[in-house]
Order: sequence, then structure tokens, then C-alpha cells
Amino acid sequence: MRRTTPLLALILVLAACGLGGETVATTGETTTTIASTTTTQSATTTTLDDGFPVTVEDMNGSVTIEDRPVSIVSLSATATEMLFAMGAGEQVVAVDEYSNYPDEAPTTTLTGFNPNIEAILTYGPDLVVASWDPGELVTGLSVFDVPVLILPTALSLDDSYTQTETLGGATGHVEEAADLVEQIKTDIQIVVDGSPVPEGLSIFHEADPTLYAASSFSFIGQLYGLLGLENVADEADADQFGFPQLSSEYLVAADPDFIFLADASLGMTPAIIALRPGWDQMSAIQNGAIATLDEDIASRWGPRVVDLLRSISDAIAEYLLTS
Amino acid sequence: MSDTKTRESIAPARVGALGWLLAFAVLAISLVWGLQSGSVDIDPLGSIGVLLDSIPGVEIEHGLNEIEQRVILEIRAPRIAMGAIVGAVLAVAGAGYQGVFRNPLADPYLLGVAAGAGLGATFVFAFEGASGVVPILAFVGGLAAVALTYVLGKSVGGRTTTSLILAGVAVAAFATAIQTFLLQRNLDTLREVYSWILGRLVTVGWGDVITLLPYAVVASVVLLIHGRLLDVLALGDDEAEALGVRVVRVRRFVVLAATLATAAAVSVSGLIGFVGLIVPHTVRLLTGWSYRVIIPLSIIYGASFLVVADLIARTAAAPAEIPIGVVTAFLGAPFFVLVLRTMRGPQ
Amino acid sequence: MIAWRDVAVTFGKTRVVGPLSLEVGRGEWLGLIGPNGAGKSTLLKAAVGVVDYEGSVDVGEHDLRRGLDIAWMPQRPRLPEEMSVSDYVLLGRTPHLGYVGGETQHDLDSVMGSLKRLDLSAFAARRLGTLSGGEAQRAVMARALAQEAPVLLLDEPTSSLDIGHAMEVLEILDELRKHDGLTVVTAVHDLTMAGRFADRLAMMASGEIVADGDASTVLTEANLLKHYGAGIRVVNNGDGPTVIPTRIERD
Repeated sequence: MRRTTPLLALILVLAACGLGGETVATTGETTTTIASTTTTQSATTTTLDDGFPVTVEDMNGSVTIEDRPVSIVSLSATATEMLFAMGAGEQVVAVDEYSNYPDEAPTTTLTGFNPNIEAILTYGPDLVVASWDPGELVTGLSVFDVPVLILPTALSLDDSYTQTETLGGATGHVEEAADLVEQIKTDIQIVVDGSPVPEGLSIFHEADPTLYAASSFSFIGQLYGLLGLENVADEADADQFGFPQLSSEYLVAADPDFIFLADASLGMTPAIIALRPGWDQMSAIQNGAIATLDEDIASRWGPRVVDLLRSISDAIAEYLLTS
Repeated sequence: MSDTKTRESIAPARVGALGWLLAFAVLAISLVWGLQSGSVDIDPLGSIGVLLDSIPGVEIEHGLNEIEQRVILEIRAPRIAMGAIVGAVLAVAGAGYQGVFRNPLADPYLLGVAAGAGLGATFVFAFEGASGVVPILAFVGGLAAVALTYVLGKSVGGRTTTSLILAGVAVAAFATAIQTFLLQRNLDTLREVYSWILGRLVTVGWGDVITLLPYAVVASVVLLIHGRLLDVLALGDDEAEALGVRVVRVRRFVVLAATLATAAAVSVSGLIGFVGLIVPHTVRLLTGWSYRVIIPLSIIYGASFLVVADLIARTAAAPAEIPIGVVTAFLGAPFFVLVLRTMRGPQ
Repeated sequence: MIAWRDVAVTFGKTRVVGPLSLEVGRGEWLGLIGPNGAGKSTLLKAAVGVVDYEGSVDVGEHDLRRGLDIAWMPQRPRLPEEMSVSDYVLLGRTPHLGYVGGETQHDLDSVMGSLKRLDLSAFAARRLGTLSGGEAQRAVMARALAQEAPVLLLDEPTSSLDIGHAMEVLEILDELRKHDGLTVVTAVHDLTMAGRFADRLAMMASGEIVADGDASTVLTEANLLKHYGAGIRVVNNGDGPTVIPTRIERD
């Protein structure tokens, strides 16, 4: 009989994998499905015993996690923030070099750009989360039976919520994740309600010194839209790509009321952009209506989306007060 | 052949009245066309008018509003001026290199100035220096690479052109290797570096133009002066020496002038390829072998070529910018094949 | 005049020429002869500074000014194909033009004169790439003459010319040097021709001068056998020594 127990467990596991979604449950838990209406991703979880094994959906499809992960490696700064915010921090053993929030996150020299399978394995992971797969991340780790969740850049707030719920299911924090999402939604609503923006106030979000902008079709563009701000880059984004490249001429002619800089790390400051030919006469420059966004917050789509929205709203409010 | 006819055919090569007329006409058309083009629609006559009006002492009704004026005077005009200067510099430097190395396939990046400048720029991006430092380090890097090429070339094979070219290849390869290594370690800077490498005239103001101008003028003057001597070099180092030409010294002057100007141009506008190869070679195919003609015409046609390439770069996908290095390749290659075929055809 | 004084040329580790001394008087024509590899071309190249050498080369009272004092016609000249003959000959005026200067009427006249002398007037506008070997060689000589230098060093100046043209060119050279007092040194393979035109012959072998004197002194069967090693007979008649190749019977 000792020999058959592992065999039985194996059969049950195989059955669970093979059946994909539903299981023949031996305990009282039933299937729970959390789905949102306008998303491209949906999180479906199946539970057995302590909630595991569980199957969640990521960019590539279904991923099954056998046991509650206790040594998670995160190669995505956003995922790191989500994990800690939902209380899964103790299960995280290593995060990549750019995961600098929260402070207690165990930052290492791992990188999400060019991940090194061996380096990742030295942390003994039982779950790896990343925002993109350069090629061999998933396949490389699957050789060692390590499940990988690829949660790419969110295209909308709903994407962000779905990813949060996915992580909640994957780490055994389903309820906390749901609460987190609710909190975020509430906080966002508070900010939106509390910031009256006059009709037609236009902004330009500079993503990079070669004048790539974020239009309303990008994630951050949607945030500006929530506040009722108009985006000068929209007219140049017929393909709805989200990040059209503009030119000095275009911007001088469009003359946005407010400029948000997301490329301070590349050396851009209000003083420097005023030196660009033709820019010094722009309304935003003349009125000092320029704000530099915290790039960590502006480039992520996690719980601190609220902070991002708040910083945008505060900048606008200050501008409205003084003008 | 009668004596008078013989005597008539003995004449040093020169550009000729028709040659000058054609060259300047092409330049004028390019400049005007460049001024008209951009993401914002501006009345053509008005744009010329506002430019003329800005000359002190000249008053012209141009009818443009304030924004249009700024676009013309502060954005387009300096950019066109810069395009013309960079184009002229790269073309004349290419002509100089082609003369000095007796090779119509030489281009101004032959001795490693491009790889060195690229490395200098990458250093700044990789170690997150201020963006204002990029041109300086690119300039220094370009010059350092060529200096290294010279030192290496001398220590290896003496004063021959072959050893210089080989040393240039080695230095360029080395610089590129270091650059690739740096990029790999700092992948997040990849976009910036490549954007710089592909060349752009994006945020160019009159300040940049004024910075580059002295280099361009000095290099052009030096190369114009050396036109005749470059023709003598066509006889080979030995025969030129026997005719009293100090070959090593001439080579040094020409390479120094061409390199300085190229490094300065590259440091401001990134690596724009093809101009330095295509323009002088096309001029040669159309006008003949003499550098007394190739050099002045390379200056003028080089300016025109890059101004046209730049206007395509900023209008073809407006308001987005196509990197100008891509445009020069797209334009240059087929145009070059066309010229080659029309030249070889009748023969 | 031109004098090589204790001149030695070394390529790498090999001593190729000298040390040797050789003096040619003003208006004299020296024929430099010797087997392949003797160092004739190298000796001439040293005088125009194309190879490095020890010792000194003297052209008289003042210091040697390259291009102005010596005109060199190389054995294998580089002839840019697209250049016209007149452009090419005009390059011979380079030493007179200074660093920055351009050509004057005198320069153009000089070219005209050179072309006429070498019977190239009809070829003035022709491109070098379209010339025959002989025509091209005359163009090279025309360029050397256009330099108007008092010393002419000519390396195989008639190698591509048929006998008629070769004699014609050598006659022109003779006339010129007598008229203008030019000093001429020619390195040649044709021993008889050398003997006919040069005032004096110097034979080189393995970098040394092994015979120096007038034609009949130098062109002896003993000398020729020793240094050329071929079956050669010398016949002396009224014109001077004539070198005749003789086929040796092989048994």
C-alpha cells in the first residue's frame, strides 16, 4: 500500500490536469469562476483540498499550479507590487532588479529583460511570474516543472484587475485579491469624483525624448481619459497603436495645455524641453504647466495606479488654481 | 589634329559655368522643397516670405500666424540648414577619403570614426549621463578611434594606405564589440542607442547649426584646396612623391580635416550612412575623375541629397519620423544602381 | 649632373644595392645595364626618394628638390584609365605649381611642347585607357619631359615600343639633352641600343657596379658571359659593339 499512494496521487493529479477545468471533487469545494465583462483575460480557478492544485489563465493559456507556491520568483515589477499588496509577500523569495516596491521585496540581480534560467533556478522557485517571455523562459522552466505566469503590460484597467485576480488564485489569496481590486476601484472613483477638469483641457504625455507620446489608446492614456482630459496625440494615432511618435511641429501647432514628462530618467526636465527649437513659446512651457511623473509608477499597472491617477489629478488641480 | 585644337584640349579640369548653375539650382530647389514639408500645412510662399522677412533690413508681408512663423523659423529652417551642412560634410569627407585611398568605395567612416562615435554615445546612454554630453563624447570617441587607427597603422605597416585601412577595420570592429557588450549589459538603453545610430535631425536648433558650421567650413576649404593634389595621388604614392608631393603629409591633412568634420557631424546628427559614399561616387560617374570637380560638387549635391532625404524622413509617416539613415539607404541604393546602369549601358 | 655617393638600399634584411658611388656629368647620357634583379630600378628609385637609402644623392651645388631637379619615368607607371593624355602630361607640371597654386599658360604651353615632341598631338584628348602600349609609354615620357628637370632618370623607356618608335624616341631624347644640356640615365635591357645612344655604360650585378666605361669597354663577351650567363657574342663594326644572342647547341 505505500507504493500505491503516490500512484493514486499521480492519477488524481493527471485527472485534474486532463480535465482542465472541472474536477471530480472529493471535498466540499466547488468551482468558482471570476470573470469580467470587457477583458481579454479571464481568471478561472478550480480548487481541491486547500485550494490547490489550481489552474489559472495567463497570456499563453492555462497554467496549472500544483501546490500553494511558497517560493515565488517575480521578474515583473508590477506583479511584485500586486503580490505584496494582496498579502502574498511572504511567499516571494526573489524579485528582479527593477522590483523596487515595496521596500521589503527581496530584490536580486535577476532581470526580466534577458532572464537567465539557471540564475532563476538557484532560488528554487515553485512559481515564476514575468511580464514577457523573450523566447525560452516558459519552455526552459517547464523542463524543471516550474510553472510560469506571463502577465504582459495591461491594455486597460480591467486587464490590471484580471491579472490581480489571477495572481490571487495562483497564490491562494483569492479573497484578498478580490478585496484589493475593489479597493482600487473605489479609490480611483474617489480621485475621479474629486477632480473637476474643465472641458477641453488638453495634455501631452511624453514617453520618450524622441517625442513618442501616449495616446488615449494606451493604458496610461485611459487614465487621463478617466479624468476628462483630452489627449493631443489621439489625432496622430489612427491605428490606435497607443504610442504614436509626434514631431516638434505637430506639438507646437497642437499647443497642449499641460505636459506630462515620463522620461526624466532619460534626462528630460522642464528646463531642458524648453530649449527645444520652437518650444519656448508653447502655452504649457510659458505657464509652467509641466509635471514630471514618477516613472516607476507611470510604467506599471499594479495597485499604485491610484497613486498615478492622484499625481496627475493633483498636478492639474494645482495648475488650475494658479492660472 | 591641328595645333589650335590640341592646345584647346589641354585644360585643367574645372566645374564649368553650366555645372555650377545646375548644382546651385538643385540645391535651391531642395531647400525650398524642404521648407514646405512637415506635419503642419503652411502656405509655401508665406514660408519663404517669413524667412526673407527675418533678414534684418528686409520687410515682407508673409501672412503667417504666430505658430506658423515659429514652426518655420525655429523648427524647419534650422533643421534644413543642419541637413544641408551635414550632407555637405559627409559628402565632401567621403570624396576626400576616396581620393586619399584611391578607392571609389571609400566612405568617411572608413577609419573608424563612426564606430568610435557610436561607442562614445553608447557610453553616455549606458552610464546614464546627461543627454547634453552625448555629442561631446561622440566627437571625442570618433577622433580617438581614428587616432588609434593611425597609431596602429603606423606600427603595423608603415605609411601605406592598405595598413591604414586594415587598422581602421580592426579599430571599428573593436569599438563595435565594446559597444555591443555595453548594450547587452544595459538592454533598457537599446532603443535610445539605436535611435541615435540610425541618425536623426529631430530636435535641431540654430545652436547646433552654429556649433557645426565652423567644422564644415574649415573642412570644405581644406578639401577644396587639396583637389589638385588628390588628382596627383591617383598616380600612386611613388610617382606622386617623385613629382614632389609629400604624400604622407597631404594624406594627413585631408584625413584630419575630413575626420574632424565627420566626427562633428556625427556627434550632432548620429550616424547617417550612404551619403559619404553615394554622393561623391555619383558625382564622379557623372563628371569624371578629377577631384577639382568632385569635391566642390560633392559639397553642393551632398547638401541637396540630405535635405531631400530629411524631408522624406519627416513627411512619409508624419507626424512620426523615419530614421534618416533608413531613408538615405532607401534612396541611395536604387538611385545609385540607376546611375550605374545609365553609365555602363551605352558602352 | 647627378651623383650617387655611397648609396646603399636595404629591403628588410637584404642588402639590395651598394654601397656604391656613381657620378654622371652634366649633359652626359649613362646607360645602366645588367641582369634582372641587379638593382637598376632600385638605384633610380633611391634618387627620387621612392625607396629609403643610406648615403646621399647629389645634383650639383644646391640641395635636391624633388620633381624640379629630377624627372623619373617609372618602369611600371600607374595610368588612370579615364584621364586624357593631356591631363596626364599636365600632371608633370606638379612640381612647379606649389601647394595651392593652379596652372598657368606656361604650364599649358609646356604640355603642348611635350606632346608635340613625342608625336602625341593627335592623342591629346584621348583617354589613357584607349592607348596602345607604345602610345602610353610615349605619354609617360611626355609627362617626364613636361617636368623640365635637368636630370632625366628613365626606367625601361622603350620596352613597349617597336624598333621604329624606340629609335625615334631615343633620337628625340638625344636631341633634347644636347639642346638643353640634360643629364640622362636610362636603365635598359636592349644592350645594343644602350651602346648606340649612351655616352657611357655602367653594368650592375647583385647591387654592385661591375663595369663602367664606354660601350666597347663594357660590352665584352667576357663581361656578358660572367654576369648574364647566356650564350652571347659581341660583334664590333663601324656603329659600335653589337650584341648577338647565340643559341648554344644542346647535345
